[in-house]
This record gives sequence, structure tokens and C-alpha cells, in this order.
Amino acid sequence: MLPLAELQHRVRQAVVAADDRAIAPLLVGGGDGRTRLGIHRRHYHTSLATAVIERFPATGWLAGSALVSDAAQAFVVAHPPSRPCLAEYGEEFPAFLAARVDAAGLPYLRAFADLEWQIGRLSLAVTAPALTLADLQSIEPSRLADLSLALQPDVAYVHAPWNLDELMRIYLSDRAPDRFVLRDEDVRLELRGARGGLQITRLERAVFVFREGVQRGQALADAAMAACEADSAFDAGGALSSLIADGLLTAARAPGKDGEA
Amino acid sequence: MAGIGLRLPHLMEIAATCPPVEWVEIHPENFLANPHATELLLEVSRRYPVSVHTVGISIGSAEEIDLEHVNRLRRLVDAVDPVLVSGHLAWSTHGGAYLNDLLPLPYTAEALRVATDHVRQVQDALGREYLIENPSTYVGFSTSTMGEAEFLSELAARTGCRILCDVSNVHLSGHNMGYDPYEFLDRLPPGAIGELHLGGFTPEDDDASPGAELLVDTHATPIAEPVWQLYAHALRRFGAVPTIVEWDNDLPPLATLLQEASRAGAVRDQALESHHAAAR
Repeated sequence: MLPLAELQHRVRQAVVAADDRAIAPLLVGGGDGRTRLGIHRRHYHTSLATAVIERFPATGWLAGSALVSDAAQAFVVAHPPSRPCLAEYGEEFPAFLAARVDAAGLPYLRAFADLEWQIGRLSLAVTAPALTLADLQSIEPSRLADLSLALQPDVAYVHAPWNLDELMRIYLSDRAPDRFVLRDEDVRLELRGARGGLQITRLERAVFVFREGVQRGQALADAAMAACEADSAFDAGGALSSLIADGLLTAARAPGKDGEA
Repeated sequence: MAGIGLRLPHLMEIAATCPPVEWVEIHPENFLANPHATELLLEVSRRYPVSVHTVGISIGSAEEIDLEHVNRLRRLVDAVDPVLVSGHLAWSTHGGAYLNDLLPLPYTAEALRVATDHVRQVQDALGREYLIENPSTYVGFSTSTMGEAEFLSELAARTGCRILCDVSNVHLSGHNMGYDPYEFLDRLPPGAIGELHLGGFTPEDDDASPGAELLVDTHATPIAEPVWQLYAHALRRFGAVPTIVEWDNDLPPLATLLQEASRAGAVRDQALESHHAAAR
């Protein structure tokens, strides 16, 4: 008897890749078991492609629904989900979409779709209680340089080579201007979006480098050093204070013995 | 109890308005990566009994189940403290891919061993009983050596899990695969039935059999009349088992679901009353 693993491999081939030759002789039900198995194939493709399309409505608005829909159909074959939570599915779609021949004339598409992915991800987040200056007072000054900080889960940092934030604001406002000029421009954005709220803020280069580095887990001194390289006038103390004032800081941990705030 | 499947578009309304419904059931996979929805769910769980109905635990997969997913589920279950936790007699993962469907199993000794091991693992990890739902079936395998009712009954006997009997699936599968749904219900062990489901389906032309109709488990329509009759039979056989009305696609206003749940309650009362009267 065919081992279960081999049977499931053959069903997967039929469902994902539409190749039912190997499983067909084993199917029973109705006049043709392959037609019946086709219900599962249809569900796989329709449900996942719909999930991807619904995750990127602004990208569809920008690039055209046909392009995004065709790409989503191909994406679900090339990149089946690896986890059952569909809210986590589609992070690779912007790169996949941008690599398609029919997207070749839209060099900004990947960055715009990446921006939309981040906005969608943040909309599901909630905020955690923020640390205050008083919470940091238990940490010895000598250990501040090595401090690792955790930021709110509803914040993301996005660097784009065009003014895509303006384009996204147009989409979100549901108003189409007569004319829009996409400019080559280094745009560094802080996105916040807990509970469906959304704020898009442009940051100065050094502040972006600092905050993005902190979020990636860089030690405070390393993030500040990188920010100083971006702008020699960078004020590390002021940047740390503004993180606290903006309610972004949720935890601070010094390496070694006792340091958690 | 008669309740509804609670889907994300209705979550905020339920949390804000607290409509009269006896219990609700959620798919944890809609919440595990959605902290905002989880926050609302915890509010709901303080007001209603909640059941957790998984769609992503692939107990029929030949490969190992995703223990990371089970552990995430465990954390949600601990927070919600549901009255029931359930899943499906199906598989959905293979080779690291999640196929987003409840795929059919061959009913063989090997599949029974695999499902038994996985149900035990899930029950151990969750520290509570797991219920397994009968699938909606369009296609089977010539390698099967037992029937679905026999397979489910044996799985329940081996693991101590109970059976979530989806009455609509019994009707649909009986129609599609050519068996009597009443006889199917009569073959299930009454003491093992822990929950009932009702859901809508959509008839389609059966392409391979001109003139024939296939029923597809869309959860996009009201419950069909023959399913209400089969539901009454299930209640007379299994007793007052808690019931959930599911609706997942083309989601109607919440009031429509509440009406369906209300009808389930009325059918239950009538079926049990006539059953008791006949017994007297």
C-alpha cells in the first residue's frame, strides 16, 4: 500500500502545481476523482490569492489590479505559506511582484508594496506600556553605552528612494490629484499603526539611523555612533530623550548581571 | 447551547454590543498573529463561553505536526480558557508548506496511527481534551480500508478525544460520496460526541457527471432544510450537545447569524421535547 507520506506528496502536487497524474489512479468519488480533487485545488488557489490581493490593495491601486492579481496567482504556486496564520503570509510578495516581466517599468513598485506590507503588519499590533525616564534611573550610567532597548511593537522604519509616503497618503485619503510627481528622493519614514491607527512621519537621516539601529538591537552606543556618522551634529542624549517622550521605549536591558528596566 | 462562529468582521460589534448568544467559537489562526484582535477576543471571553476551533493543526499529516504552532495555540488557550478546543480529521501541511485547506485522508491503519499520535501530542501539549471534526468530503482514496465513522470512532477510543460532529458535513459528504447520512450518524458512538456544527453549502454542477449536483462546503449560505432535519435526528441520538452555526464567506450581518443560532436552539428544544415525549 502506498505510504501516507507519498500519497500526501502526490496530493500536494495536484493541489499546488495542478499535476494530478500520480494521484489520479487512487482517487474515488463521482464520475472522475480528479474533478473532485479539483475543488481542493480551486480552494487553495482562490483563498490564498485572495488573501494576498487583500493584503496589498494600495499596490493594486497603483499598479493595476490585473497585474497584482496575476502575480498573486503565480505567487501562491511558487511560495505556498509555511504557517497557518494567513496574516503572516505575503512578506515575499513585493519582491516577487517586482521581479515579474510585466512590472519591469515600475521600479518603485517593490518599495511601495514593502511599505504597504509594513503598514498592514502594524495595523494588527497593540502598544505596550512605555518606559519613562524614571524607569531608566536604576541603570548605572557606566552601563548606558551597552544598553539594548526594545521599541513598541507598532513601529517600523522604512527607507525608500522615492517620495512614496506622499503616494501612500493619496491612496489612504481616497482622493486622486490631477497630477502627481514621483521624485527620486531619499525618504526615511517612521510608521506607527497600533489598532489600525496610522502615523507616517519623515525622520532626519541621523535620527532614522539611530532609531532603526536601536530597533534592530544595536547597543545604544553603536546606534548613536552610526547616527553621528550620518550627521556629525547628532545629539545622542536628545535622541534618547525623544524616544522616551514619544512613548517608543518599552524595555531596556544592560548586558550582564542585573540590568533590566 | 447554540452559538455562532465569530469571525473578525463581527468581533468589534460583539465586543461593543454584547448581543444575546449562548457561546461563540473562534479560529485561533485568525488571532495568533493579530494582537489587536486578541485584545478584543479577551474582552469577549469575559462575557461569553468561547470555543477554540483550530484549522491549522494538521493531525493527519504523515510528517510531524508544527509544535511551534501548537505552543502558540497553547498560549492563546491559556489566556482565553475556552470551554472546548477542537480541530479537523484532515491534513494541510506537507514538505514545509501549509496548503490552507482541509485535505482528505485515506482511512487506513497507517493514517489512524498517525492521527492517534498527533491527537495525543496535541492533547498533551494543551493539557486538555481535543475534539475532532468529521470532514466535508468530495473525493476519497481506493486505499482506504475502513469507513470514516469507523475511523473517527477508533480515533476517539484510542486517544480519549471526542468527536465534533459537523451535521452539514455529514449531509454534504453523504450526498457527494453516495451514502445515507442518517446511517452515518447512527454509526458514531453517542457518548463521544462533544459538539455539533451547522454550516451552509453551495450546490454546483458535478462536471464529471452531467446532470448531477455536487455540494461544496462554502459556509456562505443559510443552513439548508435537509440539514435542519438531520440536526434534529443528531440531537435525538446524541442529546443536548452544544452547537455552533458557522458562516465564513459572503459574511452577512451579525443579526443573520444570531437568527440561525436562535433557530438551532428552537430545533434543539423541539427535537428533545418530542424525543422525551416519545420515551415517556
